[in-house]
Amino acid sequence: MSDKSSISRREFLQVLLLGGFSSMFGRNLLSLTDFETIETEFDLAVARGDSATPTALVQAAIAALGGMEAFVKPGDDVIIKPNIVAADYSYQYAAYTNPEVVAAVTALCIGAGAERVRVMDRPSSSTCEQVYARSGIGDAVTTAGGQMEVMSDIKYRKVDIPDGLDISNWSVYGDVLDTDVFINVPIAKHHRLSKLTLSMKNLMGVITQRNQFHPNLGQRIADLASLIRPTLTIMDAVNILMDRGPRGGNLSDVKQMNTIIASQDFVATGAYAATFFDKTGADIDALRLGAEMGLGTIDLDSLNIEEIAV
Amino acid sequence: MNIDNIQNTHSENSGLKWGRWRRIRQAVQILGLLLFIYLLLINWSSGEASSQSGIFFRLNPLTAITAMIAGREWIPMMGWALITLGVTLLLGRVWCGWICPMGTTLDWVRFRGAFQRSAKISPRWRSVKYMLLLLTLGMALLGSLTLLIFDPITIITRATTTVLLPALNYGITQLEFALYKYKVFQPAINWVESTLRGVVLPSIQSAFALSIFIFVFFAGILALNALAERFWCRYLCPLGGLLGWLSKISLFRPLIKPQCIHCDHCISECPMEAIQAHTGNGIQPHEITPSECNLCMDCLADCPDSSIAFRWQAHPVLAQEYDPSRRQALVSLGMGAAGALMLSTNVAAKSPNPRLIRPPGVEDEDDFLSKCIHCSECMQVCATTGLQPTLLEAGLEGLWTPNLVPRLGPCDYSCTACGEVCPSGAIPLLDLETKRKQVMGLAVLDQNRCLPWAYATHCIVCEEMCPVPDKAVRVEEVAVIDELGGEVYLQQPYVVRDLCIGCGICEYNCPMEAQSAIQVQRRSSL
Repeated sequence: MSDKSSISRREFLQVLLLGGFSSMFGRNLLSLTDFETIETEFDLAVARGDSATPTALVQAAIAALGGMEAFVKPGDDVIIKPNIVAADYSYQYAAYTNPEVVAAVTALCIGAGAERVRVMDRPSSSTCEQVYARSGIGDAVTTAGGQMEVMSDIKYRKVDIPDGLDISNWSVYGDVLDTDVFINVPIAKHHRLSKLTLSMKNLMGVITQRNQFHPNLGQRIADLASLIRPTLTIMDAVNILMDRGPRGGNLSDVKQMNTIIASQDFVATGAYAATFFDKTGADIDALRLGAEMGLGTIDLDSLNIEEIAV
Repeated sequence: MNIDNIQNTHSENSGLKWGRWRRIRQAVQILGLLLFIYLLLINWSSGEASSQSGIFFRLNPLTAITAMIAGREWIPMMGWALITLGVTLLLGRVWCGWICPMGTTLDWVRFRGAFQRSAKISPRWRSVKYMLLLLTLGMALLGSLTLLIFDPITIITRATTTVLLPALNYGITQLEFALYKYKVFQPAINWVESTLRGVVLPSIQSAFALSIFIFVFFAGILALNALAERFWCRYLCPLGGLLGWLSKISLFRPLIKPQCIHCDHCISECPMEAIQAHTGNGIQPHEITPSECNLCMDCLADCPDSSIAFRWQAHPVLAQEYDPSRRQALVSLGMGAAGALMLSTNVAAKSPNPRLIRPPGVEDEDDFLSKCIHCSECMQVCATTGLQPTLLEAGLEGLWTPNLVPRLGPCDYSCTACGEVCPSGAIPLLDLETKRKQVMGLAVLDQNRCLPWAYATHCIVCEEMCPVPDKAVRVEEVAVIDELGGEVYLQQPYVVRDLCIGCGICEYNCPMEAQSAIQVQRRSSL
């Protein structure tokens, strides 16, 4: 990932210090700081426009972060992870990521020179191919030049989660760990146990035995997120689901926000989206605990946020 | 010399002509079997049902007639069977020799010495197929289709669906698992997975309740070929019995002409042993029994002096010694009816198994059993693999009928596939909106096992999963004391009885070890 072949004295000392600390606390702090972000002018971009298409919103938000070229290099292998946990209704019911948003992200990646763009999610009980077809995401992505991947049992592998506070290993979809660029494209919606399902919770789509997370959902999501850190998180808040999530089914629960939030910091992305529900990042366990683990920040005031009207 | 030459030329031409027909028959057989497998394969994985997948059942007069008798209604989509009946009345058992995928499979299962062994089998065994047919019809008269487990198309469909394809997928997947560790194989495996998974190979491995018995049943029939070629078709097949019976008045029959030289070629060729030898009588030619002939054309192609030809015949064939007498026929019918009565006294009819959950849209158990042809197409198409063949949950009468086992796979809220493929309409064809309102059962919560109730642990996966828009599983926020005496605020689920449709997604996803803490049960009154 890094082009740097040597480290400065300053970095060397930092590593030495952290290594010392981590050995004191019995866990590896190094990997947390290992995550490299790309220098951008703004930490978080919010594109909003009541008459703008989702595509225009995605394009505006990504442009504010320096364009997709900042994150996707020519020849890169890209995996996009929308939320397609179930697809019982049209996208207007806000139970899964807007197909146009997924297609727009796909097109941007291809435009940046990605060698291959795969889109995948594992629904809770249907098959991948069923929800890809029903949601319309399959068609949208294929038209945009991406590929839908039916998540294959053989690609899951048990991996250590060195920074996990509650779980120390889990079975994860290997390709997500191996790919060059992993882009998280969640939708903001209600979830009774975790209050909201936002950026970090969307990562649960790439693991097995999801229902085993629930006894300590917030911490386990944060633990998982310490392992799988998306290059970019692009939050679909075009339509958001205010109640009876995550499967929806009532248009009266849907609120039109016509917003796309994008950032390299998935904690901040979630924290920003939480405000649409009159909540803060601190109200959502996964975000708060993720921030405590150093995965990102829920302190929106500390960020350089670009809000764009489209 | 000259005459011999002329005759030889003539016979060669005739043999060539019929040889070509035999080729065509073989091609039709292969195409038919491929179509049969293709129709199962497209249902296997895509999660989308093909309305054509039941075509072999719709053309099958045995399943059509018995389902209509037992269901007491004309089933339009099974009206296709009239085509088969018409062809049979015209030509005889073309179905058996040309179309039936079971027959085609049996043609390919060959054992050395079968011909010699078959000589020892009394032709009287041929009456079994008629008896089985009459028993089946007798049971159908009283609304029971249990004996359709002996229909050849249901047998081969059940075996393919519940054993052969799942084992094939398991084998492929296990091989991939083993080879995926080695980098050199990964590109190939990635190609297989990205190209075939979810298209040809299902993305969820299916497993069926004791399906090995279904396989043994099927394999046993194949093994009987060791005793005689097409043993099943000759002696046992009730569909063959029905078509054979009709063939007695078929209009166009293969006939051996008086010029027959008694070379016995045809007798040793005939896979059905349908040709009666008239030895010791130089005048009477060998004779083909139309009710036993499957129109394979082997005898026509191989007759050295072209003595066999198709001829119009207006008179019915004479009864064979093994044909059931009127008395035997009535007794068989009566026994079938009596059997149906006796099965109805099983406790399953009075108090159904609480875990017997029928597919969506099935309202009345008796109605269902009088239309379900035990074919397992619905189990094949069910993408969650939740539809399972019953063993005794529905009584012996309901053997191998579909039962939703939510712990294995729930009824998908956005799927109508089982109703789309059901060849007899036992599972009604419903549009999605109607299907979503079908009540299959009731989710019952066990507070002694439920994590928030029994262990003061956060969970409510059931509430999260519930697909009913207004949520049939809801939660109550409570403060409870945990095992260590501390106060915990958590959400405890409960079921709204009037909203629950019994789809079982809660049971499927419940994280409680082993038995789910929320289970779908049969509703006593819907």
